[in-house]
Amino acid sequence: MTNSSNIKNRYYQSYNDNQSLLPGLELSWIKRLRDDAITQFNQDGFPDKNVEEWNVHPCKGLSDTFYDPCQENNYEIDVKSIEKKDSNCLIRVIFLNGKVINIEHDTLPAGIKVNTLSFYLKNNPEFLKGKIKSANEYSEVRLSNIIDSRPQSIVALNTAFHEDGAIIHIDKNIEVPGFIELLHLGECEENTMKHIRSVIFLDKASKCEVLENIKQHKNNNVVFTSNVTDVHVSEGASLSFVRFIEGNSKNLHINNVHVQLDKDSKFISTSLINSKGQARAETRVNLLGENSSSKINILMMGTNNSLQESLTKVKHSTKNTKSDQIIRIILDENSRGSFQGKIRVDVGADGTLANMSGKSLLLSDNARVNSKPELEILADDVRCSHGVTVGSLNAEQLFYLRSRGIPENEARKLLINSFGNVIINNISTNLAKRAKNLMLEDSNKND
Amino acid sequence: MTIALEIKDLHVEISDKEILKGVSLNIEHGEMAAIMGPNGAGKSTLASVLAGKEGYTITSGSIKYLGKNLLDMPIDERAAAGVFLAFQYPVEIPGVATSAFVRTALNAQRRHRGESELDGIEFLKLAREKAKELEMSEDFFQREVNVGFSGGEKKRAEIFQMSMLSPTLAILDETDSGLDIDTLKIVAAGINNLRSDKLCGIVITHYQRLLEHLKPDTIHILADGKIVKTGDKSLAILLEEKGYQGIIEAA
Repeated sequence: MTNSSNIKNRYYQSYNDNQSLLPGLELSWIKRLRDDAITQFNQDGFPDKNVEEWNVHPCKGLSDTFYDPCQENNYEIDVKSIEKKDSNCLIRVIFLNGKVINIEHDTLPAGIKVNTLSFYLKNNPEFLKGKIKSANEYSEVRLSNIIDSRPQSIVALNTAFHEDGAIIHIDKNIEVPGFIELLHLGECEENTMKHIRSVIFLDKASKCEVLENIKQHKNNNVVFTSNVTDVHVSEGASLSFVRFIEGNSKNLHINNVHVQLDKDSKFISTSLINSKGQARAETRVNLLGENSSSKINILMMGTNNSLQESLTKVKHSTKNTKSDQIIRIILDENSRGSFQGKIRVDVGADGTLANMSGKSLLLSDNARVNSKPELEILADDVRCSHGVTVGSLNAEQLFYLRSRGIPENEARKLLINSFGNVIINNISTNLAKRAKNLMLEDSNKND
Repeated sequence: MTIALEIKDLHVEISDKEILKGVSLNIEHGEMAAIMGPNGAGKSTLASVLAGKEGYTITSGSIKYLGKNLLDMPIDERAAAGVFLAFQYPVEIPGVATSAFVRTALNAQRRHRGESELDGIEFLKLAREKAKELEMSEDFFQREVNVGFSGGEKKRAEIFQMSMLSPTLAILDETDSGLDIDTLKIVAAGINNLRSDKLCGIVITHYQRLLEHLKPDTIHILADGKIVKTGDKSLAILLEEKGYQGIIEAA
């Protein structure tokens, strides 16, 4: 038996041995969801290089180590020691090691409901039905019509093992003043894994901004974390979603967002990924309703020996939908980055407008990036574009800045920042300041 | 008058090809010198070497500016010491607002000279004043550096930067190329505004028209990597009549 199938069996075993730790199993549909997921994971295992979505850095560090999904942690944190909630933040949900430890908010306007997954499982499980989707619903439908579940193996693992999450439910016509922050803190035992499953549901014509803020773990243990968020934006509603992912050199994080867009709805997302370890962010958007639109902006920054990965899949399922993707990757030292982006225009999805632009900036001879833009167009009347470039700092620009008296270091910084500014400057109002501060904190840390 | 810039027997190569073959040139404080010459003579190379652009090998010769060895100074230090090059082809810098760029530059220079930095309000006041002189609208402060600028706007923006940074050695590399007559007048007036008994200027141009506005003190003809003739403004008129070939042959 190979090492990796041995590890796969240990997850299966762990699932059967630790059911008491997994919330919701008394509900038959949750039990089925979890059972199906572990069965699927057991069948597929960790994706290897034969799985297209994973062929650049196939599950590096995951397939050869067992991370205990059910290890209890004894770490605690004093909520008062955490930095204060941003003034534009209406509600902050604080996670520690995969579980919600605190929800802070002032008086909430009606129609805004934010609570934990465990709370909903106990008090309102019906709401979650169909919103937490089974892993096989997220299988890739290949052009050959083969349904491939392997790329979503980690989502299956998350579906089986998730312990907690945040549920955000915005009622019809409600515009949330300020943003909602999901702050993820961690300090875990060596070789453990934590799965978080969240749901964002925006009812018709509502509007909301959400920040998923994943901090590096405090201690230096090897830890794997996975956050999966199921998003449904109903007719005429609009969601701004910002992910900020950092990590220390021992952190391995995989983040999945699945978005379903109804008629006239909008999804605007920005992912800022800057881990000293490994981080992978997947964004899958399904434009199901006419005139729905999606904007995906991603900025990845790598230093040292880190690995940052991004995968996007935008599926235009119906007529007259629109999508935009802007990806910027900045890599220094020995860091690695990869971007795979796909635009799929289904049969009959005429009037589609889809653009993707990916640019990478390599600041060292040893940095490497893989970029793969893809278009699959099965409709006739569409306008799609994609472009990918890889380069280093432009010597002419550097000379121009220095010739005005800007010292070399400052000039380089200015150019590096300007490369990422197209992403930073496009963040929605309430979140813009917060995101900029987070970026600043981060770049000061790197100095 | 004292000599501000002293170029002595300057030889410069780019990838083993000799471009400047012994240029000697002295410019005094307050002097405006024009350098004219046929394409490929080495005019832009001289401008780039003065500003400190990399990729050029100085095989022999020296450049002294205000008594210091200019060739020893890094690019940004030269700027802080008062050297300014108005680019023939200004560079686009997407993602950086023009005002942020000029403010960063101005404050970096002031810091280098041990002067206090300008805050946002002081900077804006100065910038507004200078922009007005060049008949530029203020929207351009927020526009990305040179991105989407027309040819004329780019050149005007160069002169704007120059007036904000108030250099003591201004090198204008074909600032007049691609300008219509009206813009040329504005740009020339902008340059004339900066003239003082301190500023020395080097104007590289192909055309007599800019010189009519600027009235340079000296005119130098650079051909095949050497200054072949030096004279006053009558030389430019002669040039219009005879062309470079005529003058080079006579020299």
